Amino acid sequence: MRGLDVAEPAVVSEEELSRARLYRLLSRILGAPADAALLEFLKKLEGDETTLGQALGALSEVAGRVTLEEAGREFHDLFIGVTQGELLPFASHYLTGFLNEKPLAELREEMNNLGISRSNDSSDPEDHIASLCEIMHGMIIGEYGASYSLQEQRNFFFNHVGNWAVKFFDDLEAARAATLFMPVGLLGRMFFKIEEEAFSIAA
Amino acid sequence: MKSKTDKPSSRREFLKTASLSAGVVAAGAVIETGSVKAEGLPKENKNAGYTESDHVKKYYELARI
Repeated sequence: MRGLDVAEPAVVSEEELSRARLYRLLSRILGAPADAALLEFLKKLEGDETTLGQALGALSEVAGRVTLEEAGREFHDLFIGVTQGELLPFASHYLTGFLNEKPLAELREEMNNLGISRSNDSSDPEDHIASLCEIMHGMIIGEYGASYSLQEQRNFFFNHVGNWAVKFFDDLEAARAATLFMPVGLLGRMFFKIEEEAFSIAA
Repeated sequence: MKSKTDKPSSRREFLKTASLSAGVVAAGAVIETGSVKAEGLPKENKNAGYTESDHVKKYYELARI
């Protein structure tokens, strides 16, 4: 399917689509302060009794308790700060201790090979957790005009995001400034562990 | 090595029980484009002098104000 320049979503199973939606959800929450629409959406989430379901339920509950302003302040405290936020959600930081390091260079090379480029005007480097989740989403639904096999998704996951994200989500859940983002941390961690295991089943 | 017939149903079954398919996130398909969007540019155009990606078009839109 590679090489087709048709940008319509590939036909994927419901299960794979669910993965894509979770990546998109994480990307939205982690990429920018929540707007009214996102907050409304979060309030409507319902979770079942599974661990993942409970994280979604908790997220929904907290979303119902925070104001837009509070959510914005929390986002700022966690990720922006004066020079930096409480957390640095970048692969380079988690893998090397510094920003803009080899993991970023390797990611850019991989994106190049995959034919993916950043289209927004964010000044953040591409190894931001939100950006990586967005890429996973795109790879699953075939957003880049090509269908990415599970093997390709798996490689990208383990090489660029799965190798550090769980640690980030742990930090997020424990962060001082986290209220809305506490269940986001739990959700991320649970989801990424599921992804890890699911990829090994497919291997 | 698992047989080919084993793989798809095992993965699907696993994802199902992991609750990813809970109506939950299915209902949430309306999440619009995030602020961080990666888009695919056709490889053939990569060496073209100038590619009008979405954010460039947006810039021109805004510049007209």
